[in-house]
Amino acid sequence: MKQNEGKIGIRDYMAIILLTLGSKVSDDTPTLLYKTAKNSAWISMLGIALLSLIPILFLLKVFSVHRNKNLHEINLHLFGKVMGNLISMGVLLLGFSSFVLDTSVYVDIIGSMYFTRTPTLALYILMLVVCGYGAKRGIESIGSAAWLTLFYLKATLFLALIFAFTKGNLKFIFPLWGPGTLEIAKTTGSKLSIFADFYFLGIIAPLVSSFKEFRKGTLWAFAIVVVEITAALIIFVILFDFTSIEVISYPFHETILYLSIGFLSNVESMFLPFWLVAAFIRFSFYLYLVVTLFGGIFKIKEFEYLVPVFIVIVLFLGIMPKNLTYTLPYLREMILGILSPLFFILPILMWGMAKLRGDFKREAEQSH
Amino acid sequence: MKQNNLIKLIFLIPFILILTGCWDLKGLDRQVFVIGIGLDVSDEKGKIDITYLIANPEVGTSFAGGGTEEDTVMTVTMRSPDFLSLRHSVNAAVAREISYDLLKVIVVSEELAKDEEFIRFLYSAEKDREIKRNTYLIVTKEKAAEFLSKNDPKFLTRPHKFYENMIQRGIEVGFIPNSELHHFFRVTEEDANLFLATYATTNIRQKEDEYRINEMDALAGDVRIEGETNSANFLGAAVFLEGMMIGTLTGVENRIVMLLHDASSITDILAPIPDPFHEDYELTVRIRKQHNTSVEMNVHDMPPKIHVTLPLTVDVLTDPSMENPVDNKKKVEKLRSTMEEFMETKIMALVEKSQKEFKAEPFGWSLYARKEFKTLKDYMEFDWMRTYPEMKIDVDVEIRFGQFGRQPKTPSYKGIRD
Repeated sequence: MKQNEGKIGIRDYMAIILLTLGSKVSDDTPTLLYKTAKNSAWISMLGIALLSLIPILFLLKVFSVHRNKNLHEINLHLFGKVMGNLISMGVLLLGFSSFVLDTSVYVDIIGSMYFTRTPTLALYILMLVVCGYGAKRGIESIGSAAWLTLFYLKATLFLALIFAFTKGNLKFIFPLWGPGTLEIAKTTGSKLSIFADFYFLGIIAPLVSSFKEFRKGTLWAFAIVVVEITAALIIFVILFDFTSIEVISYPFHETILYLSIGFLSNVESMFLPFWLVAAFIRFSFYLYLVVTLFGGIFKIKEFEYLVPVFIVIVLFLGIMPKNLTYTLPYLREMILGILSPLFFILPILMWGMAKLRGDFKREAEQSH
Repeated sequence: MKQNNLIKLIFLIPFILILTGCWDLKGLDRQVFVIGIGLDVSDEKGKIDITYLIANPEVGTSFAGGGTEEDTVMTVTMRSPDFLSLRHSVNAAVAREISYDLLKVIVVSEELAKDEEFIRFLYSAEKDREIKRNTYLIVTKEKAAEFLSKNDPKFLTRPHKFYENMIQRGIEVGFIPNSELHHFFRVTEEDANLFLATYATTNIRQKEDEYRINEMDALAGDVRIEGETNSANFLGAAVFLEGMMIGTLTGVENRIVMLLHDASSITDILAPIPDPFHEDYELTVRIRKQHNTSVEMNVHDMPPKIHVTLPLTVDVLTDPSMENPVDNKKKVEKLRSTMEEFMETKIMALVEKSQKEFKAEPFGWSLYARKEFKTLKDYMEFDWMRTYPEMKIDVDVEIRFGQFGRQPKTPSYKGIRD
């Protein structure tokens, strides 16, 4: 039962990032950006990308000298036993909460847009069981599943966006600075954590075949995802305009419900299955990260067995909010607000500690 | 190994059964499909009379083999607060579950469209999961219920095909606007422009002197088409401001709007225009748009100025005066200048109508104004809709001649008469 020993190559690693981060265009992330940055959401997205590059580069620097350690082990090494464990636990708590919230968002999408009569509980159980199975199979399976489906998922997304683009009117992106530069900057600051996933990726850093591939994969995937999300944000605006985009809860789904391709008028049934597969892989991966980190902190070697327990906890927490439609955006925003500064500061702090401890010097000496 | 896989596969077969789902399971043969929803004013406040146009799925399929005597459609009218609860209420008379999956049109009577309350009822369409944003909005002169039951196409008796083809062709030739709900919601929420909805009627004037035979500068119902065809006309547009109908545009006016508006998908227009060489006759021209309208705007002046240049390619397809303008440079110039003048006066008349009568514009010019502002706040403060009626607008039509029919030259009239 030592599935976690296996390593994944750059191909699978990139596929995982592209799926987990890329599918953010299809949940409520765009809505959160549009809420404050209106039609200039894409500008604030570029700002977020630029700012996120700083912590990502610092993280990579730290990982370059601790190639065989994962995030938790590095935390222990840099901050000492007590502080390291505390930081890791905080990270775990935040990661776990966003996992719970993200899954409830997805369940809300499926429940309100597609299967209106199916009880939320049934959808939730089904989703978590599938993701639990994926997480239990380990990172290798998740990686190859991601790679196998990547092409189809991106092709359908691309198709949907292209058709939406032809239906839209490019002039809707004006006035260019939307609600004003100040609002855009505020959005950039508070929603920085859209890319906080890159911090959590540190948990599987030693599982990628080599550090070189880890760095290359991270940076390339980051660039692709930024382009993808920015393009989607522009396309949703030119399709719906700044007034309607604010009242629409899930722009991607509203888009595929609206589109008709030639004589095919109900094309959402073509996009839905692919989107669901992406969701399963995304949450399998998140669950795997959470369980791995938990296992690391509490020194549980065979952490795969924790998956069922986690599923039950997520299920109870996920269905606890009474009215998903109203509470979810609020909670999501809160957690993004907490994560944003942490995502920015923690990697810099880690780098500072490593510098103080002289880790970089030792590395330089070793390489001579 | 192979056998092993086969056994695994067999184990998977039972899972096909759960693919149908449990709660959202819908049998095709347990549903009826609503193609059109009609909305009418009712006497009771807070309620409207809603009509379903339900298609009979068994007609026109190969199974029926022509043997069925059943009608292709039926209509049901009931009073209801919205068209969501009606889905169940109607089951008192209709045997199967109501589905909106194939819904193509929402038909509204002019009376209801002019009501301030109308928007309250239409917005429930945005809430229902099955009503798509690409459903078309049609305004009818008579009651929507009457329109839906009286409309009786001779061909295309399956209603979803009829509405789909009728509307799509109408948009292509520019007689009716593209009135998808998507645009209605967008324009209404933007709150700066006019929204145009398809105008239709089965209530065609019967008296000799009241209808025009062949002019599209008319509204649905004013054009009488002889022969046995549809009892309905789709022509012209209903004008909506802030979600309420405030007027109408004729077929020609709608074409002008579509020519000026960059986002419209009009391909080409065949239209008769006065012949400059002989006042009794009309030339038929094909008008195409070469590229986008160029709009120059100065919003910082008071009143703001707009200068619109509309580049058109015109094919002159007939030559009833038999003057052969192709040969003669002077004649071509005369043709061009009269045509440009003719079109400019038509366009300016419509622009004036929009400024004076509607006090808002359907041409999409506010989009150009957006470019002139840095932030949304500046744009909102400018208040496009309040400023529009005072703007100074001039329109320039630039014509480039394309072809002159299959055979450019005709023998001269005099030569034949000799």
